[in-house]
Amino acid sequence: MGIVIAVISGKGGVGKTTAVANLGLGVAMNGKRCAVVDFDIGQRNLDMILGLENRVVYDIVQVMDGEASLKQALIKSKVNDNLRFLAASQSKDKRVLNSKKVQKLIKELKENFDYVILDSPAGIESGFEHTIEFADAAIIVVNPEVSSIRDADRAIGILDSKSQKVKDGGEVAKYLIINRIVPDMVQSGEMLKSDDILDILNIKLVGKVPEDNGVIDASNQGKPVILDKHSIAGQAYKRISARLCGKKIDMKDVEVTDTSILKKLVGIFR
Amino acid sequence: MQSKQYSIKVYECSIDDEEKFISFFNTNYTLFKDHLIVINGYLSQNIKNYLNSKSLIFINNIKLPKGRSRKALEKEFSLQKRECDIDRIIAQTELEKLSNRLQNNLRVIDEIVRSGREINIDGDLLLLNRVNSGAKIYSSGNLIITKLVEGSIRCDGNFMIIMASPKANIIFHGVKIDSKFLEDRLNRVELKGEEIVINPVFRKEINWVS
Repeated sequence: MGIVIAVISGKGGVGKTTAVANLGLGVAMNGKRCAVVDFDIGQRNLDMILGLENRVVYDIVQVMDGEASLKQALIKSKVNDNLRFLAASQSKDKRVLNSKKVQKLIKELKENFDYVILDSPAGIESGFEHTIEFADAAIIVVNPEVSSIRDADRAIGILDSKSQKVKDGGEVAKYLIINRIVPDMVQSGEMLKSDDILDILNIKLVGKVPEDNGVIDASNQGKPVILDKHSIAGQAYKRISARLCGKKIDMKDVEVTDTSILKKLVGIFR
Repeated sequence: MQSKQYSIKVYECSIDDEEKFISFFNTNYTLFKDHLIVINGYLSQNIKNYLNSKSLIFINNIKLPKGRSRKALEKEFSLQKRECDIDRIIAQTELEKLSNRLQNNLRVIDEIVRSGREINIDGDLLLLNRVNSGAKIYSSGNLIITKLVEGSIRCDGNFMIIMASPKANIIFHGVKIDSKFLEDRLNRVELKGEEIVINPVFRKEINWVS
């Protein structure tokens, strides 16, 4: 039996889908069988970021309605054999989801994979609720800014009250990814510090991803940034993936850059 | 026990001349027929017979309780009222002291209050974790929050203990408490009479509620 991880954020545009693509690939690169599922019914994006746009035949709604089998609908990644992708429907909207269908699908995925990563839609509506309903764990993606953190806080609140695991008396494991950190801005105090964010949200940190211009280009080309050996964001996702696979990797302080050390030296000589 | 209380009219007199008395009563009979006649001194059989024939009710040689004047009554009333007021104030202050200590339906919440959560408590509330931005707390009793507040809190109790929280919206008995009045430690916000008094709580003060 695999583990189901929902990737949520509350606010849109913080990098959920990018995180899902990179973590899915990262976990697969660690030798685990991994499925990434796009739950953002009606606004499918994950296929483009994974570069599998033209291979989509069947989508998640067709699988849930029994029009196609799961095996038919799962798309194999071009870069890693361990990674499979299940696309969202672009024509339907999130009202077609219901708990029973979602539960059946997730059960089937769990039996076939070590990791099932769900890409949640932004917001806290029914689509979000269905994504978290049967998840064993959640990864919360935030940007170091107040609106993203408040929305994430609200999303965690709903996660803690509406997930099936909580209703059964358990607890959903929650992990935080702080995305798009600009080290200079953190140091000058313009951007929230990681410690402050952790104070507010009070969940475990699984990794920090620095801002990297390469991410947009990588998304446009359909090659997740984790494949780029020189990308700082890619390296951060690599570390997070390894942590998800149970490896002990020290937290790298992405807020301290080489330039800042140089600045410090300059400061001494002044 | 069934009882009734009512006032009656009394005509009080003493008899010197029986002839005069009878003629006076004859002329003023309509006036006296509703009165109780009180006769002081000697009452002859002749007068008794006369009064009986007129079916007037009379008594002889009796001391009736006399009502006091209005002024005296008012004075006594006001005195009583003042005593009553004093008693009430004493009782109230005693009660206030007691309810300061009293934990009315104390609820303890030891989890982070996240955005979007609303907590309405009828009674006292002790919060041992953060109140995040976008959360709402209301307590009709006393409120103690030991960590930073960024949401909005409303308290109608005798006192409230909070930290300085610049992002919070703090309302105590309908009055907004500005964070600049709060020190960077726990503060006791208290309603004393008509005034709101804010005092920092020092660590050595173990007894938060006095």
